[in-house]
Parts: sequence; structure tokens; C-alpha cells
Amino acid sequence: MAPSVNYHCPCLSSAATPPPPNLPSSSYSFHPLHTLYFCEECDAVRCNRCVSVEVSGYYCPNCLFEVPSASVRAEKNRCARNCFQCPHCRNTLSVVPSDPPDAGDLTSSTIQIGSIGEPPFFLYCNYCRWDSAEVGITFEKPTGLALQLQKTEDSAPDSLEFERLKEHFEPFLRASSLSASTSHLPSTSHAPHTHTNPITAAASSALARDIPGVGKYNPSLGRSGGPGGGGGRSGRDRTANKDEMPEYRSRVQIGGAGSGGDEDADLMRHLEVPAEIARLEQRWVSSWATSLQSKHLKPLRIPLHSKPTKRCPSCRHILIKPEQKAQSVKYKIKLVAANYLPAITAHLPHAQIPKRPVALKSSVTSSTGPPAAEEDTAEPTMVAGKTYPFQLALTNPLYDPIHVRLAVQRAPLPPQLQSQDTAGTTDKEKEKTRRPPFAVSLPTSAFPIAAFAEAWEYEDEEELFDEDGGLVDKSSPAKDRAGKGKTKTVGVLEKKANCTVVGGEVVIGREGRGDVKFNMLVSYTYRSDDPAPSDGGEGDVEPRSPTAPKAAPEMKTFSFFTVVDLGVIVPKDETKVE
Amino acid sequence: MPPIKDKYTIHSKAVVCQDVELKGDITIGAGTVVHPKAAIYAIAGPIVIGQNCIIEEGAILVNRRKEVMRVGDDNLFEIGCRVESPTIGHFNTISAKSRVHHTVRISSFCVIGIRCLVLPADDEILPDYTVIYGGSTSGDAAGVDAVVERRVWSGRGKVQEADLRRKHAEYLREMLPKFNRVRRGDGS
Ligand SMILES: [Zn+2]
Ligand SMILES: [Zn+2]
Ligand SMILES: [Zn+2]
Ligand SMILES: [Zn+2]
Repeated sequence: MAPSVNYHCPCLSSAATPPPPNLPSSSYSFHPLHTLYFCEECDAVRCNRCVSVEVSGYYCPNCLFEVPSASVRAEKNRCARNCFQCPHCRNTLSVVPSDPPDAGDLTSSTIQIGSIGEPPFFLYCNYCRWDSAEVGITFEKPTGLALQLQKTEDSAPDSLEFERLKEHFEPFLRASSLSASTSHLPSTSHAPHTHTNPITAAASSALARDIPGVGKYNPSLGRSGGPGGGGGRSGRDRTANKDEMPEYRSRVQIGGAGSGGDEDADLMRHLEVPAEIARLEQRWVSSWATSLQSKHLKPLRIPLHSKPTKRCPSCRHILIKPEQKAQSVKYKIKLVAANYLPAITAHLPHAQIPKRPVALKSSVTSSTGPPAAEEDTAEPTMVAGKTYPFQLALTNPLYDPIHVRLAVQRAPLPPQLQSQDTAGTTDKEKEKTRRPPFAVSLPTSAFPIAAFAEAWEYEDEEELFDEDGGLVDKSSPAKDRAGKGKTKTVGVLEKKANCTVVGGEVVIGREGRGDVKFNMLVSYTYRSDDPAPSDGGEGDVEPRSPTAPKAAPEMKTFSFFTVVDLGVIVPKDETKVE
Repeated sequence: MPPIKDKYTIHSKAVVCQDVELKGDITIGAGTVVHPKAAIYAIAGPIVIGQNCIIEEGAILVNRRKEVMRVGDDNLFEIGCRVESPTIGHFNTISAKSRVHHTVRISSFCVIGIRCLVLPADDEILPDYTVIYGGSTSGDAAGVDAVVERRVWSGRGKVQEADLRRKHAEYLREMLPKFNRVRRGDGS
């Protein structure tokens, strides 16, 4: 795996700082930049875990008909026009007429076919040549086929059973929705969520709602109705309701075809060719349990797709909204984080040194080393006890230049950086409890990145090194031998258009193990459009860097965390094997 | 092994484009269309192609055996397929980029699906109406699906398909010579 940089969304915890990168939970808090959104109201990153999603429209992926949401339920989420899927290969089926009655000798040079198709019509797969006449489905007219198919779908025993179940529970659901309006659980009783909003509140109260006949969940008493003792306690006050529910008697016999009963077992026992049994992926697109035999597979109406709109969980502003038309792939609103935050890519110059040592090392690694090193022989490896330079390329998406400051969070800092005030200061006590496997150096001073512009707008590039501290010899550190990195590899290495490349260095401890993975706080200062930025207020949303320079009033600073994963450490003794 | 002697027998009603690679002893029947950039290699034994076949661009027909490779009538060889079957019946569709090994004999009304690789270890005859199509797994690096599914086609719709095949060939016989130079056989 190439080195990666992912971005933090703080939604999963109340703490402003992300979890340590070596914890498994860390991966849930970090996301690739292209999957993130940015709320301008809250001035915060939003991810797919925290946004609220609503469906803005349903459509058929085959005929692109936009289905009104009112008919989606009635049509059971599938296309009600003439769109069908082959049950064997999932290709789209076409409606074809029958052959003329006398097939005769095809090799004779006369084949006469009238222009009007002959009934009966059937559904035909151009790819695997399955046709619906094989399962006895033919049509007198080539129109309104979905309606005819839905009728048979709806008369399936499972479907009827489901309808009856719904009828059975209907009064209870109505009663519970009435009782829910009178007894709302206080919001403190369910899991604390940083971004409580009308939607999540409604959803969680719906989940916590009292259902007659079902044991009540009481957070203070623990799980009720579970295998433990909680059931008895909470069940006591619910007995009255439990009695109200009459027993439901099923009409469908368990053990029929497709439900894994004797009939199916018998079928399997006498199986001659595996293809007689429909594969799981052929069966589970069907709405109801169907026969196991592939010769019984029925044509399927094509399932509808939806276009979602996503909202900010705290201010409810729309972050992304597609155009209504099914044919369109454009968006009406699109606030993606990639348009606000600098894009960061990482790479290891030593990985570009000819394959020889890398290939050898990883082949040794694969026998005994960490599993992550196994997949790719070209994977850059870092040997314990050595020092490696790495590079971060930052690309500015804004139309204004920005100044960026990088800081390693919580990661072990080499002595020369120890004095620096980073966001990880609060965690320094924790660091002492554990010997860090590696130490990362990054440029300490802020560096500029030019504004984004169309390619032809760029002037000849001038090297603008005056703003940076003690930097840099122009000879690329990429040519330095791996493991012999000098302090000169740390700092700004290259500026080109709206991209600035900075160098860092990682010193791997002799006993270092695991991944070279560290959290990095990125703070960038930019010129704000609105003159009075409401700084603070959203303290829970994004951490503000304490080191942010107090600039002119129209300058604003935004900070976010990233996790940089440079790769796996190869233990030293293993490399000696070769 | 004696050098291959080229001998092309092309029916006067066949349309074989100039930019076609032919090698060895080849006979092409009436109404058959061979697109430019197709290739027919009679390496070991001769190749005899019947009537009204369509051989599209980049399609390759190879005979590696001593005996005659016989291709029947009304077969469609789609773009980039490669077929080495010793015998092929009538009305077969060999789809784009598929590969059929010389251990397979094809009867009639068979379909070899797109990108499918048909390579049985032992000699095999595909019965009439055999359909081979891509399996659930995606293709390997070679660009073919080695894992394939098999079905037997009911044959429903074959008359219409045959009709379409004839019209297809008819259209090509009319249009191809307008834009391509056409090759004449030794016989004509
Ligand atoms: Zn989030
Ligand atoms: Zn549709
Ligand atoms: Zn199919
Ligand atoms: Zn917001």
C-alpha cells in the first residue's frame, strides 16, 4: 500500500482531538478527502457517518423514469414500467414476439417474417438466452407487463403472509404512536451524541419508543428482555400490554420449497449438476423466498435507485443535493471538503530507489513479518533503527493563497521539536507511559501555498523561499540514500503552482514495530470573505490551533486533523536473515 | 513441414475486404462477409467457410490441425474473437473477444458469450443451442472470463434471429464495398 493521508471528522467523539492512530477505532474517524463534505455555516468538516441523508427522488436505473415517492411503496420499490432483470445473469430483458409458426428449414435461403410480431410475447435475455416462457410466463400484449408480473408477485404466499402480519400489528403500531406522543424519553437517557438535531432526535426517540408487548428498554436498568436478568424487572409493568396481543397464526407452512425444509434437503440429495441450484446471488435479489431450483427462477422487475440529499447534522443546511432529473449527474448544491481543505498526498522518496532491496526485504517479511507487508512486493518498507525522509504535497483549492502550519499530534517528538507547542501537549503525560516506536519531524514554521488558478493563469514560477525558516538545498532529497537523511530533508522542498511539497523525516526506533502512522494537525490561514468571522462558538466542532497566528482581522485560521500512514516497520533482525 | 501454399477460393458473391490477412488454403462461400483487419490462418490444414457468415474486424480463425476446418452457414464471428474449433455448424454467435480452443467443436445455434474462454482439457462437442456466458467472477488479467456458465437455449426466437442475421449480412454486402477495396479469389 502506498502511503496515505486521511482526514478527521470529529463527529464520533466529543473530544476535539482524534483517537491515537494505532487504535482500531481510529480508522472510523478518518476518511479520504473525496468522501467528505464541508458545512460553511458551521465551518466544519462533515462525513458520511454524521450527515443526515434524505431521499430526494427515486428512479429506475434502466428507463430513468422518476418514480413519485407515493407510488414507490405500492410498486414495492421496483420499476413498474417495462424493465426486467434476467434471473440468471441480471442482464436487462427485452420483450420479444414469438417466432412464426413454421420454423421450417432455416438453412434454406428464404426466411419470411412479417413486420408485426406474433403473440404470445415473452421476456428474453440477449446475453444468456434465458426466456420467460421457460417458467411459463408469456404475454398476449407487449405492454403493461410489470403490472401483470406484480400481480403474481403479490399473490405469492410470502407476500400475502406479510400483508396479514402488517394487518395484525397495525392496531398496536397505532396505539404505540399515540402513547409515544405523551411519553417522550428525556434526551439524556440515550447515547450522548454530539450533534443532536431534529432528525436524529426523532429517529432515536422512535427507536426508544415503547412498543406494547415488547419489553421496554430502560437505560438505567440495562438491557431488558435479554438473556440476563433484566427481563423480569422491566417486564413486570408491561404484562398488561403483553396480554393484549393476540397470538398470530401463520398461514404459510414452514418447510416448503425454498425455506430449507425437507423438500429442499431432498432436492439437494438428488442433485446431479450444481447448476440445478440457483446461486445465492440469483436468489436474494428476489423479494420473497423462492424455489432453490434455477429452472424456477422468475424474471424480476428492476429495483429502483434513489438520489439522496445530505444535510449538515447540526445546522441542517444542505451539503450536497443532486439535480432532480434522473438523467442528470450534476448537483444543485455541492459543498465538498476538497474545495475547502488543502489536499495532501504523502510519499516516501526511498521507495522509488530501484526495487532490489525493497523486493528482497518484503519477500523476507512475508514469511515472518507483519501481514500488512505481504500483498505487495513493491511496497516501501522501513527498517527499524533507521531514518527515512518523506514528502507531503499540499494542494490549495482556494482562489487565495494560504499559509499552512503542520504539527504532529501525540506522536513522539524528537528532542529538537520538543519545545514546540503542538496540539498534542495535553497528551504528553500519556506519551511517557509508552516507548514510541518512531519519531516524526515536520517543518515547524508556516509555509505558503499559492492560490488555485486555471493552468494558463500561472506566471513563471519564482522560488519564494524568503518566508520560510532555514531551508533548503535544491538538490532533491529523493536522491539521498535511504536511512541517511539529513536535517535538510525537513522543510519546504518545492513550490509549483498551487502545490507545495514539504519534507519530513521519520526516525524509527530500534525496537520499532507496527505502522508508521501518526496524527497530524493542519492549520491554514486564509483571507476570509465575510469580515466578522464567528470564531469560537463551535468549539465542539473543530479544534482551533492554539498556535494560530493572530493575523489581520480579515484573516481566518482553520484547523483539521489528518492521519498519515507511511507504511510498515520491518523489524531489524528479520532483514539480517537475507 | 512443407511451406504453406496460399490458395484462396472466394465465391463471387462473397465480400472479402482487401485488408484481410489470409494464409494457406482457404475457401469462402457465397454471401459471406469478411471485414477489414480480420485474419484467417489455415496453418496446417485448409479452412472452408460456408455461406452468409460474418467475420468482423480483428476476428481470427485458425486451423492448427491437418484435417479441413469446416465452418457452416450463417455464423457470426464478432470483433476480436479467436476461434480454432475444427468444426463449426450453422447460426452460431461467437461474441466479441471470446476465445474458443481447438479442443472444442461447435454444433449449431450456439452462443459463446463476450470475453468467454472455452478451453476444455479433453475434446468436446458443444451440442446444439449451448449458451456459454460470463460467470459471476470478473475476468482475469488476460481479458477473458475463464469461469463461465452454461445453459441450453430453448431456441425460441431463432427464426427472428436468423432473419436478422441475413439482413445484417445483406446490408454489409451492400455497404462494405463502398468504403473498402474488395479482394477477389484465385478462382474468379
Ligand atoms: Zn462525521
Ligand atoms: Zn424502468
Ligand atoms: Zn440472462
Ligand atoms: Zn452545519
